[in-house]
Amino acid sequence: MSLPALEVVDLAVTFATERGPLRVLDGISFSLPAGRTVALVGESGCGKSITALAVMGLLPPSATTAGAVRLEGRGIAELPPEGRRLLRGRELAMIFQEPMTSLNPAFAVGEQIAEALRLHQKLDRAAAAARAVRMLEAVRIPEAAKRARQYPHQLSGGMRQRVMIATALACRPRVLIADEPTTALDVTVQAQILALLDELRGSTGTAVLLITHDLGVVADHADEVVVMYAGRVAESGPAARVLAEPQHPYTVGLLGAAPRLDGPRGTRLAAVEGAVPDLSDPPEGCRFKTRCPFRIAVCGTEPPLRGVGPGQRSACHRAPLEGILDAA
Amino acid sequence: MTAPEAGADGAILSLDGVVRHFPVRDMLGRRKGAVRAVDGVSLSVREGEVLAVVGESGCGKSTLGRLALGLEEPDSGTVRFRGDDLRALSPAALRERRRWMQMIFQDPYGSLDPRMTVGRAVAEPLRLHRIVPRSGERERVAALLARVGLRPEHADRWPHEFSGGQRQRIAIGRALASGPRLVVGDEPVSALDVSVQAQVLNLLQDLIRELRLAFVLISHDLAVVRHIADRVAVMYLGRVVEQGPADAVFASPRHPYTRALLASVPGAGTRGAVLQGDLPSPIAPPAACRFHTRCPHAEEICRMQEPPLVVGAAAAATPAHRAACHFRDTLPAAATPANGHRGGGERLARLQAFFAAHRPGTGNAA
Repeated sequence: MSLPALEVVDLAVTFATERGPLRVLDGISFSLPAGRTVALVGESGCGKSITALAVMGLLPPSATTAGAVRLEGRGIAELPPEGRRLLRGRELAMIFQEPMTSLNPAFAVGEQIAEALRLHQKLDRAAAAARAVRMLEAVRIPEAAKRARQYPHQLSGGMRQRVMIATALACRPRVLIADEPTTALDVTVQAQILALLDELRGSTGTAVLLITHDLGVVADHADEVVVMYAGRVAESGPAARVLAEPQHPYTVGLLGAAPRLDGPRGTRLAAVEGAVPDLSDPPEGCRFKTRCPFRIAVCGTEPPLRGVGPGQRSACHRAPLEGILDAA
Repeated sequence: MTAPEAGADGAILSLDGVVRHFPVRDMLGRRKGAVRAVDGVSLSVREGEVLAVVGESGCGKSTLGRLALGLEEPDSGTVRFRGDDLRALSPAALRERRRWMQMIFQDPYGSLDPRMTVGRAVAEPLRLHRIVPRSGERERVAALLARVGLRPEHADRWPHEFSGGQRQRIAIGRALASGPRLVVGDEPVSALDVSVQAQVLNLLQDLIRELRLAFVLISHDLAVVRHIADRVAVMYLGRVVEQGPADAVFASPRHPYTRALLASVPGAGTRGAVLQGDLPSPIAPPAACRFHTRCPHAEEICRMQEPPLVVGAAAAATPAHRAACHFRDTLPAAATPANGHRGGGERLARLQAFFAAHRPGTGNAA
């Protein structure tokens, strides 16, 4: 078996704050095979974006990282900053929710793509410019040569996100991290961008780490999913399986909380009551226990992430949850 | 002061041929055209009814909400609140009407004054409309906070001490303080995380039912709309392209744009993009049918003639289900999301039932 494009093992991140160290991530492990999509899903503050920034080596200096991050088997977490910088853009690329904050408003979009090619692939100016136009064509931007000379403000939101994708994929990275890439877009444009990512992943073999809060996006576009809660992995496994047969109460709750086009109408949603715990004072043991209808005494100790089905792992003492239904 | 009755036709709010254009000027201030934000919209909402206005950014749905509350004046057409034309009212009479019409905004960080305690924020409409004497104010505020799932002692705290979901509860409490008959919610749950969104949606649903509010839900989220709306109006570039009972619109959409929106919702099982291209500019919308530039079914007539918003001729057509498409009766059957295609079934439903039954004290509300 070939090495995964990206492997994260027991990743932990601690921020130094005025009130002492704050551990925001703990025990995050997942593996991303080449040409596949793994989704990190969870609500605000669960640590999904911090995970992405830790992989990219873009955390601020106040953060300390433990654990391993391997790119095709090479440990990169311990590389010096200069080594990390050379990986970014060439082997690891990232796109964000709001493309306007990542694009430079003062340069034409073609130049911005060409810059990456000149830096990483040592192409000359003319070759880089030509390749930039081809990248814009690859992300289905009509009249690519004309668009390449335009500035970000002259493009629509969907078009800007296409430019970001073109920039990110210009150097054929092994891994593309997409952090809520379609959250700021309208639903019909979102469908276009997600379909484009699927297609490019298929044709380039780039692995995609897709960060999202939308379980519908996971259902349609991810092979594997990692459900995060309060800085830890709650559950992980094949996307179809986790969504159909969740084995962590938080996943069950998330699935019940989101209204669906094929769900019942007018009924009350099975909301997860309460709020995400404060990470500076997390509950002892299982972090979901304060909101969990299935909690028992043992939930005061931390549940390990363990296998509960083919490729599926859950950090719940009560998994598999079938036992609860039998008892009911 | 007694609560107003509905208009003659039972409608609390009715819009008739409402138009609102915003002029666009060039660098010298010369008029260059207009953004046709709302371009001839007729709608009505009754007591206890949820009307959802859906569409993508720039379709005019937020402007429509502001017009409905008289926060924006139409260029032409009328907006009636229980039969009274808002434009014909004196300023004093309009102020009095505002007691019965309230709004909930998307961003609970922007809609609450950070220098006003929660109690003051909720009490403000009570004072403005002189609803309770000062001596009874605290008690009324406590009752309102309790009703939206907060604790009476929260009245003395400041907005920054609350999470997004709690702030939205505060905003809802404030909107309900004056006992409105009409509430417009402009993306009221869009900024919230999914577990919190569900709590706030449940709360809104309970309140609408209990207070028999006429509720206009402005939203881009079709799953949320389908969940709580009784009727739906789909907007595209300032016009309503389809409207009708939510059941009918979601089960058998008659306009290609509605179908495209539904098929674009992630999790519906469609992986490809349904619509190509971006929304045309609302300054120069396409002639005739405004959707023809992106429509997979467009033919010559769509470029020539504007389709009226009418009920289909098919025998099975639901009364009051109208679509502005020349081919409303002959479109191929719509692919509707397969029921439960994502699986889960009975096991998942039974597990979720535990969450519905598990209601820790209201003090925990997010």
